[in-house]
Amino acid sequence: MDFDIIFGNAARAAFGPEAIILALAAIGLNIHFGFTGLLNFGQVGFIMLGAYGTSVAVATFGWSLWVGIPIGLFLALALAVALGIPTLRLHAVMFAIVTIAAAEIIRILIGSTDAIGLTGGPLSVSFDAGAFFDLNPYADGPQDRYGVGTFAFTGQQMWVITVGWVLVALVSLIVFLIIRSPWGRVLKSIREDEDAARSLGKNVFWYKMQALMIGGVIGGMAGVIDAIKTSGADPNGFRPQVTFYTYTALLLGGAATYMGPVLGAILFWFLREWIESFLRQLSAEAWLPGAIADFLEGSEGIISVAMVGLALVLLMLFRPQGITGNRIEMQLDAR
Amino acid sequence: MPADRPPPEGPSAPEDRSMLLDSARRTTEVEPILTVHPEPGVAKPNPILTMDGLRRSFGGLTAVDVDHLEIERGIVTALIGPNGAGKTTLFNLLTGFDRADHGRWEFNGQMVTSPSPDRLARRGMVRTFQLTKSLAKLSVLQNMLLGAPNQMGERLWAAPFRHLWRNQERTNTERADELLEQFNLARMRDELAGTLSGGQRKLLEVARALMSDPALVMLDEPMAGVNPALAQSLLGHITQLALSGVSVVYIEHDMDVVSGISDWVVVLAQGRVIAEGGPWKVIHDESVIDAYLGRRRAGTEA
Amino acid sequence: MMLAVPALAQDGAEPGQTQLNGTIRFGFDQFFEGVAITVADSSGAEIGQAVTDTDGRWSVPVPGPGAYRVSIDTGTLPEGIRLREGQESLVDAVVDAGQSRAVVFAVGEAPKGTPFGERAAQTVFNGFKFGLIIAMSAIGLSLIYGTTGLVNFAHGELVTFGAVIAWYFNSSWGELNLIVAAVLTVIVCGMLGAGLESGLFRPLRDRRLGIFQLVVITIGLSLLGRQLVQLFFGAEPLPYRDFQVQERWEFGPWAVTPREVATIAVILVALVAVGLMLQKTRFGKATRAVADNADLAAVSGINVNRVVLIVWIMGAALAGLGGVFQGLDADIDPFLGFQLLLLIFAGVELGGLGTAYGALAGSLIIGMSTEVSTLWISPELKFVVPLAALILVLLLRPQGLFGIRARVG
Repeated sequence: MDFDIIFGNAARAAFGPEAIILALAAIGLNIHFGFTGLLNFGQVGFIMLGAYGTSVAVATFGWSLWVGIPIGLFLALALAVALGIPTLRLHAVMFAIVTIAAAEIIRILIGSTDAIGLTGGPLSVSFDAGAFFDLNPYADGPQDRYGVGTFAFTGQQMWVITVGWVLVALVSLIVFLIIRSPWGRVLKSIREDEDAARSLGKNVFWYKMQALMIGGVIGGMAGVIDAIKTSGADPNGFRPQVTFYTYTALLLGGAATYMGPVLGAILFWFLREWIESFLRQLSAEAWLPGAIADFLEGSEGIISVAMVGLALVLLMLFRPQGITGNRIEMQLDAR
Repeated sequence: MPADRPPPEGPSAPEDRSMLLDSARRTTEVEPILTVHPEPGVAKPNPILTMDGLRRSFGGLTAVDVDHLEIERGIVTALIGPNGAGKTTLFNLLTGFDRADHGRWEFNGQMVTSPSPDRLARRGMVRTFQLTKSLAKLSVLQNMLLGAPNQMGERLWAAPFRHLWRNQERTNTERADELLEQFNLARMRDELAGTLSGGQRKLLEVARALMSDPALVMLDEPMAGVNPALAQSLLGHITQLALSGVSVVYIEHDMDVVSGISDWVVVLAQGRVIAEGGPWKVIHDESVIDAYLGRRRAGTEA
Repeated sequence: MMLAVPALAQDGAEPGQTQLNGTIRFGFDQFFEGVAITVADSSGAEIGQAVTDTDGRWSVPVPGPGAYRVSIDTGTLPEGIRLREGQESLVDAVVDAGQSRAVVFAVGEAPKGTPFGERAAQTVFNGFKFGLIIAMSAIGLSLIYGTTGLVNFAHGELVTFGAVIAWYFNSSWGELNLIVAAVLTVIVCGMLGAGLESGLFRPLRDRRLGIFQLVVITIGLSLLGRQLVQLFFGAEPLPYRDFQVQERWEFGPWAVTPREVATIAVILVALVAVGLMLQKTRFGKATRAVADNADLAAVSGINVNRVVLIVWIMGAALAGLGGVFQGLDADIDPFLGFQLLLLIFAGVELGGLGTAYGALAGSLIIGMSTEVSTLWISPELKFVVPLAALILVLLLRPQGLFGIRARVG
């Protein structure tokens, strides 16, 4: 068993594009759920529209990537408005179910054979992200690697990662600025008790809408990075569990904190990849009984996702505030 | 500051006016209301709130059915009545938290056309709730600052630019600290509101409502669940409010409280105004006693 | 059920010429004349056009090898004939030099050729059955929400467990008859429900865990459960050993299998039994009292924990049975329950959260709208309809179709 390889793989996942995508999705969700208290269970819908908006604009309509990206973000914004107008007045649980349903509707429509001409339907869509990689300052030869051991990236990956983490930092800064302002204070008051906010003269609907739009667009950014990273989009990548993973990352790091979603996303991917690599190494060990090795073989990914589920349960049982959250604030919830 | 507060512990309010002075001033200020004839729906000299034909029913049950009612400006009006009389429902209707089936009302000389809670609050009608709605995970100070009106920093575009709202925030903080001092909450300034006792939360809610310099404050059972010492101080604040020109309507069950601080009393039973008048008169009114004891008078049957 | 055989294209032209050709036909005996075909090069410039002859044949010579785009003018197809599902009207074809390349346009009679009325009757039947399965699975979700306020996102996995456990009893452990397997499954699922309530959710309620934390725990359990099923059962859909091939009984416009009749009968009996229990028995009254106000119920001497425990046992057992029937209908896979979960939510919310009869009516509406919609839209989109219906209803009547508007303040 080579723990260097396991650690290297885990570190690569923790700082790679997947973690960036998850971090952005979680930052957006943090605005919805963490600060405003909106139980958005359809965050994947915003990611999906960001990814498909970009991909379809470039692949189907042949527009430039620099046009495609704003289109992806605009679609995420449009979803926030379309979803928000009718649903923001609903009870929290109903809002959760409507958002999950809306994201599923979009996924089914995008992935249907009727949509092949537009989105590629079940065949997925792919495009040439050359416009993005043309700007790549990293040498990108077949031999070029950045990092040590298995914790290494190609030049192309380095470019995605650099842009991605800069984006995460920028977005986090903006979120920090707007949340510590009186505007952010109103969001928190809505989370605590929206009738109280109303009685103090705050237009609760409009603030919720603003929160939904901002968090949705940040979710859309996650989708844009996803589309660039994979040079396309596949409807199967946008199932409801993506939203649940996002919640896992957010709750792991600590909801309603500034760094929580980012730390949570890094930790999420580190642990998930660590478990998967560990199991892969384990199943190759000679001393392991054959039956167990056969069982493990090929199931590493399934088990690591199962661990995500287990982690959610344990997290809520033993540290509901996440790694950076405040215990006292959490206890106030139970009242 | 009112004098009927318990002996203050630690740093206390400097104002030490005598109760005598307070009552003397009050008597002169409320004099006009004393000339009003005490009968349901009577017109008042200077009403801040006037409602007409206000009705709300749930299923087949009529919760509120007020033909005409005026609330006088600048005095303390108590809204009393037995359980289920529709007091809270009436509050909810007037403040936009519930929709009336029909009826209309005028606030501060203007017709209320589309009653939404936030719009009414911005127009100067601020309410509190029977079950306190302190914002548990915000500090006491943050709770107070939320009450301030017209904040530049509450606009999204201005939010990231601190210099645009720093001065206003400072002014609001000063005002908040003043009120917290008055309400004896200054010590708790930076605690999370969720850690306050029930009574302190009631105080906080009233103080927060005052941040916006409202014209009318509507308090839903402000004294419920508050320990006697705090209740005394709360009573003082309510009296003080009216003195400073704010109109107050509050819901209360305790008749001693009602007769102690109210200038005018409105009695609701089964959604209707069955009596109104000066506290002494109303509390000893036969029909009011009947309503409280659940007896029906022949006259109200129709 | 009669299926259209895809039209075949023939390679019937003289050798040597580079061309595209084909035959537009349906089955072995219907050839369609006068259908217009257009060939364009890959840039979209038109190369040539053809119209099918009496034998349905067409051919268009092309200038040389390369990629071409062939399109069919669907407007020229005879009445009642259309492109089959999944067949695009524009097809890419690559021709080698000297090759005669056949291009297939699969056409068929407008779905199946069964009269509309008969198809409508069949989809209504399917929808009714599907709605009943949803309703039975929904009872537990609705009652658990009603009595404890918990929205159980792992409820779908209870349904999956039912289907999978029955499959193991039926196909793996002892190869029991499916009916025996189903009975055992109901018992196992009931025990699972009891375990979840007394081992997890009751202690958590006692710890006064917030409702959101509880919901997240159910989401975690849902992920965990689904992955475990995938781990042991696998991701491939599998059928039960029994009752697979059955002769259909004809009832007027309906052709139904005995297993479908049994499904409906069993569910109806179960629903009536639950309904009577809620209405008539002491337990039912206690359940309604707890749902109304748990604290009040507790002080009036009702053992709230016992009521909730029985609700969990009953709800899990019914969900498991729902899984057995759903698996009988559509094979078993790890996502069976989760797919159903959204529809269960939709049914429960449509009827009004926490109302038993509302949930039944809502589920039937969801089941029907899902199946009946396939009369007009492609089956892969059928789940869009109930979800869209749910959103629409919530917009117009947030309290659900049969719920009562809540009192504010």
